[in-house]
Amino acid sequence: MKVCFYFQVHQPMRLAPFSIFAPDGGEQTSMFERYFDHALNRQILEKVARKCYLPTNALLLEALEKNPDLKLAFSITGVFLEQARLYMPEVVDSFSSLAKTGRVEFLSETYYHSLSSLFAEKTEFEEQVKLHRAAIAPFAQTPSVFRNTEAMFSNDIAYWAERMGYAGVMTEGLDQMLGWRSPTYTYKVKGCSSIRALLRHYKLSDDIGYRFSQKSWSEWPLTADKFASWLSATPGDCVNLFMDYETFGEHHWEDTGIFAFLRQLFPEISKHRHLSFATPGEVARTIAPQGEVDMPHVISWADMERDTSAWLGNDMQRAAFAELTGLEKPIKALGDDDLLRTWRHLQNSDHLYYCCTKSLSDQDVHNYFSPYESPFDSFINYMNVLQDLKAQVKKREKK
Amino acid sequence: MPLPASPRHKKLTFLTSLSLPSPFVGEVPGSFMRIAMLGWEFPPFISGGLGVHCFELTQRLASMGHSVDFYMPLSGKPLSSPHPSIRLIETSPTILKPYFAFNKKGKLATYGEGLIKVVEVYNEQAARMLAAEHAKTPYDVIHCHDWLTASGGSRSRRLISRPLVQTFHSTEFDRTSTPWDAIVRIERQAAADADLIIAVSKRTRELIARHLGADERKIRVVYNGVDASKYRPPPGEAGASGAQSKTGGPAAGSQISSDFGSPADASVSFAKPALSVQTEGKHIVLFLGRLTEQKGPVQFLHAAKKVLEKRPDTLFFIAGSGELMPLLISLSMELGLQDHVRFLGYLPEDDQRRIYRAADVYVMPSTSEPFGITALEALASGTPVILSKTSGVGEVVKSALKVDFWDIHGMAQKIISIIQYAPLRKTMVEMAPNDLAHLTWEQTAQQTLAVYEEAVRSFKRPN
Repeated sequence: MKVCFYFQVHQPMRLAPFSIFAPDGGEQTSMFERYFDHALNRQILEKVARKCYLPTNALLLEALEKNPDLKLAFSITGVFLEQARLYMPEVVDSFSSLAKTGRVEFLSETYYHSLSSLFAEKTEFEEQVKLHRAAIAPFAQTPSVFRNTEAMFSNDIAYWAERMGYAGVMTEGLDQMLGWRSPTYTYKVKGCSSIRALLRHYKLSDDIGYRFSQKSWSEWPLTADKFASWLSATPGDCVNLFMDYETFGEHHWEDTGIFAFLRQLFPEISKHRHLSFATPGEVARTIAPQGEVDMPHVISWADMERDTSAWLGNDMQRAAFAELTGLEKPIKALGDDDLLRTWRHLQNSDHLYYCCTKSLSDQDVHNYFSPYESPFDSFINYMNVLQDLKAQVKKREKK
Repeated sequence: MPLPASPRHKKLTFLTSLSLPSPFVGEVPGSFMRIAMLGWEFPPFISGGLGVHCFELTQRLASMGHSVDFYMPLSGKPLSSPHPSIRLIETSPTILKPYFAFNKKGKLATYGEGLIKVVEVYNEQAARMLAAEHAKTPYDVIHCHDWLTASGGSRSRRLISRPLVQTFHSTEFDRTSTPWDAIVRIERQAAADADLIIAVSKRTRELIARHLGADERKIRVVYNGVDASKYRPPPGEAGASGAQSKTGGPAAGSQISSDFGSPADASVSFAKPALSVQTEGKHIVLFLGRLTEQKGPVQFLHAAKKVLEKRPDTLFFIAGSGELMPLLISLSMELGLQDHVRFLGYLPEDDQRRIYRAADVYVMPSTSEPFGITALEALASGTPVILSKTSGVGEVVKSALKVDFWDIHGMAQKIISIIQYAPLRKTMVEMAPNDLAHLTWEQTAQQTLAVYEEAVRSFKRPN
């Protein structure tokens, strides 16, 4: 039984408050400088780096030294790397150190953490995946597993990934897709021949990702030996523990004991003879499939619905997305790098996520992550920016 | 004046005949309460949230089986009780006009210290009549509203030894930036005398505790509600084009079935209900409330000026009357808005409902709004709402945009966004029922009743 850890690393490039009354910046203005709140983005990156990235990377580097069989994986967005290089290069260095151990794998995804896989044409999507491959090349990585934004997955997306040469594609171990089957095996995907679906074990992953610090949880406090014994008792070929990297130190602060838990977890897992570590690439290449999954529509790991409704669930989101996609052709025709880069940063799925109006418990998650007072305020700001960008494009077209 | 017999005994007999065990023993005499309420206004004479609140609350309490004696100044107009368990009891004639007529200028110039005296006359008389009624059929609890009826409540409490619940719909600190000492003194006394205080929002609870020295432990928050069915656009209504423009594509202009004055008539004046309205192709932004400093109409006009820079196809309707009317008219001309601003004056309820539905945006820019029932009325009408952050209703409404009352820029931007972005309008309007579902007068009455019961339970009769 393989234990497969993968951590998602991402920080959105947040927008500055953009007023409808903002004066036209003139010819020389960089749109990238105009729309994004670089001070806020720096501040958040520095804060999360101190609480999470730097201490957790140090912890994992030490763990890799102490546990010779340990293997891990990361998926780091281009948007994150771009900000880290700009604001805190030591964060990039600390990921490099992990990569140098040779036991840390990096997954492939879109550079801009975008919904480009949902565009009618796949050109933009492919370009963003290529940009991301280039961005992680300094870590001496040739990724073999594809992880789409927010684990969005369908037969089509898997088919595309297979054609691009990936051995595996990861997504949520969704009950509706699996039926009676377990996420602890690999699966073929309908319509594809060789690619393997790697499915997140959401219960065990969320025990760490969400429930770890919940005092109302019947299993609180969660200890490393307890969690290792749960893994040990889980039947199957592989257990995929996929979670946001910010789980460590940011979602659960240091005083919850999350770091101590993580440190002890690896040796505790090693105590169980039949458990060993593997990277997603190894799982995809070495574990034989136990059947086939069939997902004609797009699923994800977000919200209760596990579909695309967190980003495209209401009219505001769909309208903004339509504006965004409508700009592809005119912007690409202009061949202006600043416009193209700005438009791509605007594709970051977080901008749409902040416009989500789901009520009840999910809304709270959206609020937690959102820098806006309400989804309406988020939409107004995002739409103001998109309208301004559109006007800029028109202005340049006239020349 | 002979009063109709109290229905209380009938109710109790009914209970006994079913042999239901009473959940209350000792202090609380029965399941049904007999409430003495001291109020100020009641339909058809309503000028503000207080009147709406009393009207809706007494009816809900009555339908729940309780009986209410509602004391109010002699109106000189025919009044009819909306429910057999509500008795409207008028006291002395007063020269006082409805609530909104109290303004800084009026207080000093017309009434001066005399105002307080006139209010005192009402309160003394109400307390005397209340005690006489109590001697015939005892009350369980006394409930009064705002400073106007506060001393009557305190007096009654002393006379009949029953617990006193005082609701603050607003404080002097909300109504004006220069509070009048005489009223603040009355409010402080009311806060001290009441056994329990009801605040219409958390914001008001804080004001009462901070400025009126009330013990926060005896303040309960009970939000106002709205009878959404009164405001919902009837199917196939002529004005429904307004509603369509709110949810559908870009507003193609609203047709108002009744008439609020023509924008073509360029001079700023009061609307003449008989004129027909041409709003074709124009977006309507509505202000509805007393024209006083507290309600923020000045900010509304400044925001209007800003909006027109980007959207000259917008009309601004100001519904309501009050002390600031002359100032607002000159300000609107000073700002060059005369072609775009319409002063509608005070609108009767039916017209209010129509104007809410005709509007594309409702703005409540109050500088200090203890609650803000109009925001709920606009939401129930299917109209997107912009609220000032300094409002109680903002604590419980998620489907509105919120803005600082002084942030003219932000207010204008939000107005333009609602006009400009159809998906925003649609999503806001679709979300409103989630908010309204738990803001009903039934809820308000039930929570108020819980406060009565708590007051009765913990009341210690003075020796």
